[in-house]
Amino acid sequence: MLRVDAIDVAYGYAHVVHRVSLGVEPGEMVFVVGRNGAGKTTLLKTLAGFLSPVRGVIDFDGRQVQGMTAEALARQGMRFVNQDKKVFADLTVKDNMELAAYACGESLDQAVERLIGMYPKFASFLEKKAGNLSGGQREILLIGRALVGEPRLLLIDEPTEGLAAIVIEDIFRILRGMKHKISSVIVEQNLSVVSRLADRILIMKEGEIAREIADPAEIADVAALESWL
Amino acid sequence: MFDTILYGLTIGAILYLFSTGLSITFGTMHIINFAHGMIYAIGVYLFISLLPLLWGSFPLSLAVAVAAMLPLAYLVERFVIRRLYGDGIDYAIIATYAILLIGTDLIKLVWGSGPKPVSDPIGIPIQILGTTVQTYRVVVFICAVAVFVALRMFFSRHVIGKIVVAALKDRDGVRSLGLDVNKYFSIVFVIGSGLAVMGGVLYAPITVAEPYMGFHVLLLAFAVVIVGGMGNLTGTFFSALGLGQVIALTGRFYPAGADTMVFVVMTLVLLKEPIVDLLRRLVGKHGIGNFS
Ligand SMILES: Nc1ncnc2c1ncn2[C@@H]1O[C@H](COP(=O)(O)OP(=O)(O)OP(=O)(O)O)[C@@H](O)[C@H]1O
Ligand SMILES: [Mg+2]
Repeated sequence: MLRVDAIDVAYGYAHVVHRVSLGVEPGEMVFVVGRNGAGKTTLLKTLAGFLSPVRGVIDFDGRQVQGMTAEALARQGMRFVNQDKKVFADLTVKDNMELAAYACGESLDQAVERLIGMYPKFASFLEKKAGNLSGGQREILLIGRALVGEPRLLLIDEPTEGLAAIVIEDIFRILRGMKHKISSVIVEQNLSVVSRLADRILIMKEGEIAREIADPAEIADVAALESWL
Repeated sequence: MFDTILYGLTIGAILYLFSTGLSITFGTMHIINFAHGMIYAIGVYLFISLLPLLWGSFPLSLAVAVAAMLPLAYLVERFVIRRLYGDGIDYAIIATYAILLIGTDLIKLVWGSGPKPVSDPIGIPIQILGTTVQTYRVVVFICAVAVFVALRMFFSRHVIGKIVVAALKDRDGVRSLGLDVNKYFSIVFVIGSGLAVMGGVLYAPITVAEPYMGFHVLLLAFAVVIVGGMGNLTGTFFSALGLGQVIALTGRFYPAGADTMVFVVMTLVLLKEPIVDLLRRLVGKHGIGNFS
């Protein structure tokens, strides 16, 4: 589904990601963990087409896509959810969904129905300005927006960052609901969430993938995961 | 007095129609677009040439002139403005100013440098509040209000309008849905250009067309956009009408100062923040209260 081969990413002269390779199989949920500044966001933005690698190959569904624009990749079925939980604040929740539906020619009703299925409280918030939502609701709206049009690969940057414990459980349930249905690469610092959901974990350190963990017993061991960071 | 206010509303209406595009381009591309004055002036000259060809019909010639300028506006956006995106405001000023100069010389070449009058298409005065006023001026004002309402509907109801509103603050968010932001910015740029031509044509019977008309309106429009808040379309509407009153009222009592007064108001608006800030600091220093 996705194959990344030895990509380097830089901001001007500052090289941030070094020779990163990874693969995502259909239906797999891959987590990327690592300290602040390790280069996780940079990696995800590069996969999504917001940054171009200076070297290396990104292969999505059998096509080389490095250097393609973010909007073109989104139309190919790759969706990116930013770390900053930024929704279209001046528009209503429904309008947010309308833009997503318009972009991929899906019906708005269907998109809204799926969103409410994911998070029933939205039924009464549809006409509310998205800027007035709580952090958790904004994240859910962003994931809901990204799921419109049945994408094949979802890239989510720190979905639980800055959220209260009970809201983290809402996000956890939503991510669990996506498991095996859609491929995903999720950057996440909350290791309890990671260990309960991951098919595979990539540990990132100083711009490199320092370790890959695929053994279910190792994935389940939160304390051991902690020691790798 | 009422005719002065109506004159102010008419001038405000014209300024609004012109400034909207300038404000949109600033909001979307962060560019100060002098080429807007070129579209405006050429549009008016085109209208003057079309008028005799289209059986002297003012509305028809207006519509055709606006429609004819849209492709030119698109080319300016696609090949100049869009390329300048993110390159800093100085390059944009130089490049779009060059387009304005080229347009002005083109007008002189094709239509000559003398002023060209356009006659009032309605001509019949009406009585409002006991004053006799030109019906045409009332119509111009109504047109501007209609455009204002239509634009508000467009940006709040139409999906393309909503995309632009979303992209103003979160360009990458719109891109990650698979939408090509440039395309939608281009659409509103072209709409803004069409409104400028409309403003120019509606203004022509009130003044005359001359090759430098784009320069003059640009200066006033900068004041409108600054007072109204760059990229703020509702602000642009009220600021245009407000500055229209400034021009009309100053012009009534001291004609030579009419335009200057606009810039005095603009300067006051620009200085408002620093002055308020300074007052706060002074007050804060003397221990009367701390507002920050
Ligand atoms: N726009 C930029 N220009 C220059 N350097 C940047 C830019 N964005 C990020 N960096 C640098 O690149 C490195 C990696 O940043 P990145 O945001 O990818 O890390 P991260 O792993 O996502 O961190 P966090 O956990 O804080 O989100 C950091 O050293 C950061 O300072
Ligand atoms: Mg990050």
